[in-house]
Amino acid sequence: MKKRILATTLAAILAASSLAACGSKTEPTETTKADTATTQAATTAATADTTAASGGKVSLSLCWWGNQTRNDVTKKAVDLYMSKNPNVDIKVEFTDWSGYWDKLSAMAAGGNLPDIIQMDYSYLNQYQKSGQLADLSEFMSSGVIDTTKIPESIIKSGQVDGKAYAISLGSNAPMMVYDKAVVEKAGVTIPDQLTMDQLYDISKTINEKTGVKTLYDGGINMMQIMARANGSHLFDELTTGKEDSIKIYFNSIEKFAKSDASISADLLAEKNPDVVETKPIIDGTTWNDLSLSNQFISISKTAGRELGITMFPTLTDAKAQPLYLKPSMFFSIAETSKNKEEAAKFVDWFTNSAECNDILLAERGIPINTEVADAIKPKADATAQTVFDYVAKVTQIATPIDAPDPSGKGEVEALGKTVSEAVRYGDATADDAVGQFVPEAKKILEEAAK
Amino acid sequence: MKNNQMIPKRKKSVGQILNTPKVAGYVFILPFIIGFLAFMAVPMILSLGFSFTRYNILKSPVFIGLENYKTMFTADPKFWKVFGVTMYYVLFSVPLRLIMALAVAMLLVKSTKLSGFYRAVYYLPSIIGSSVAVAILWKRMFASDGVVNALLKIIGLPSDLAWLGRADTAIWTLIILAIWQFGSSMLIFLSGLKQIPVSLYEAATVDGANGIQRFFKITIPMLTPTIFFNLINQLINGFMAFTQSYIITQGKPRDTTLFYTVYMYQNSFTYNKLGYGCAMAWFMVFVVGMLTLVLFKTQKKWVHYEAEG
Repeated sequence: MKKRILATTLAAILAASSLAACGSKTEPTETTKADTATTQAATTAATADTTAASGGKVSLSLCWWGNQTRNDVTKKAVDLYMSKNPNVDIKVEFTDWSGYWDKLSAMAAGGNLPDIIQMDYSYLNQYQKSGQLADLSEFMSSGVIDTTKIPESIIKSGQVDGKAYAISLGSNAPMMVYDKAVVEKAGVTIPDQLTMDQLYDISKTINEKTGVKTLYDGGINMMQIMARANGSHLFDELTTGKEDSIKIYFNSIEKFAKSDASISADLLAEKNPDVVETKPIIDGTTWNDLSLSNQFISISKTAGRELGITMFPTLTDAKAQPLYLKPSMFFSIAETSKNKEEAAKFVDWFTNSAECNDILLAERGIPINTEVADAIKPKADATAQTVFDYVAKVTQIATPIDAPDPSGKGEVEALGKTVSEAVRYGDATADDAVGQFVPEAKKILEEAAK
Repeated sequence: MKNNQMIPKRKKSVGQILNTPKVAGYVFILPFIIGFLAFMAVPMILSLGFSFTRYNILKSPVFIGLENYKTMFTADPKFWKVFGVTMYYVLFSVPLRLIMALAVAMLLVKSTKLSGFYRAVYYLPSIIGSSVAVAILWKRMFASDGVVNALLKIIGLPSDLAWLGRADTAIWTLIILAIWQFGSSMLIFLSGLKQIPVSLYEAATVDGANGIQRFFKITIPMLTPTIFFNLINQLINGFMAFTQSYIITQGKPRDTTLFYTVYMYQNSFTYNKLGYGCAMAWFMVFVVGMLTLVLFKTQKKWVHYEAEG
């Protein structure tokens, strides 16, 4: 009998503790945070200042997605900041890319976003439109975030409707990577920026001389770049149902798909160029790849060969230079944060301080403060130097980036992939593709805007 | 006397209550009940509610009635495409897996020194088969420069096929992976086979029945309850398949390997249309429920339970 009582009590304890364990993972900190956030939702930066001045320790939370290198250097930088600002205590959390957005949207739904959020260009609009992000313009004009050494175009990249909601942590540019050995063997020279027609001609020569194939589809990035070369913006066209730039894109896909010099539809589907490790350039199936410059280091390392970097191709009769500088990622401050000014001070230090960037070493992209970028450049290795030089070159000619992508971009991107696959497999002509893609994309964007 | 008993009873009241068999039972299953309520029942009810809303996670849900279901059935061609793909996958993978499982079970039913070892070995793919690691292995095996093509080359067959890149072969790489995971069905078949009385076979042999006749007239009819159980189980499993499509093919080429569950996931978390994703989930619940119901209804016609004679 005693045994049975013991057993049941144990089971009960087990049940209770398992419950408590489930709770402790998320509940305690979040509920307290949520409580304070709601009670102090109206608190302004000014009162936060007084709490800081009155000697209370200011507590900030900081979230990012990333890899091991990023986690290590960021934690080191945060520790340095805390040692220099003993009144500030920063709690950090990090995860991988896909888990990050699930987590962040759940936190937003619960009203307890971290004070400082690592933000991406494709999510900026969505978070701003639902009122989650604080306006940073006032901190910029008051000088809490110093913007004197930062190019105007980069500040603009974090703006929605004329107000800054995010500050870039590094610059990126679209690029084409190529295999130096293959190009040399084929005896061709790659100019600073190819046109799609030149790429087509070169692909023929390279295939004849070496048998290596050409990658020609850059997905939604490419659609965006072709629209820009056509003097317009992709999502402006799609929301109004215009077909001009989409026609150019699908005609180009069709032209390349029919060429023997291009990678076959089968192989392209199998390789999956979206992931660095399976890009067709890695195993030498193709001699080129279309991507963004912050991937150059990892593509080079994975391929294990010497690669070169050139500008993303444009159109032969381009109406405008399509290349732009893209913020690789941002910091934003949550609207619910009760220590916005302290958060802004940290963001300022993170972007403008040389000692911080000495630790970070351009891991998030080339620093946006031009002086800081010059200061840390000599410390980077040769592959990273190539990226520094490339981004510097693009800075000379770049035109302003498109407005942040509207909600529904992800679905439009997936639709674009499916439709261009149909063209690659020869199941649809370029005209069919345009006729299917444009109205469906328009519908998706209308739905998502609701 | 009564009063005397009452007092010690009060003192031990917690122990006493816990000690009654009824309460003890509930306390023991409490961890499961709590888990079930917190992680199954409540989320399911919530998802039913969300399926009538437009909900992008960031903004609060907006009630839109049956709009999601209407879009699903009338305005989303991809929905029917992925439904078709999933049906095709289930239609081939489930029967083939069961046939495979039964065939191997027949081989292993005789007890030898090594049969335990073989059972373990053949069961292994069932445990690891739906893992990400095996999905990646599969992807490498069927790559154009992978093991499968290398083997084909050795025996002199065409070996430059991009299995995962062709609309007609990609789905079959996933079906083959499913067939390979026949282990758990096999174990159930094994125990079913062992329960068939040997006397039946002996009598049939005396009457001059050959192996094939014995298989179709004795083994199969006696095994129908096991087949039925496996069929229902595997059917539900088949509709829930996710990892294969998500990791190996990402739905490529041209959405011919895009499973229902993956499209549901994309809608919910990639396109932030959680309401629509929930509606899709409930349609799947309905379809699987109906199929199971139909199977149960036809049960009388082909499943023989010994007790009924």
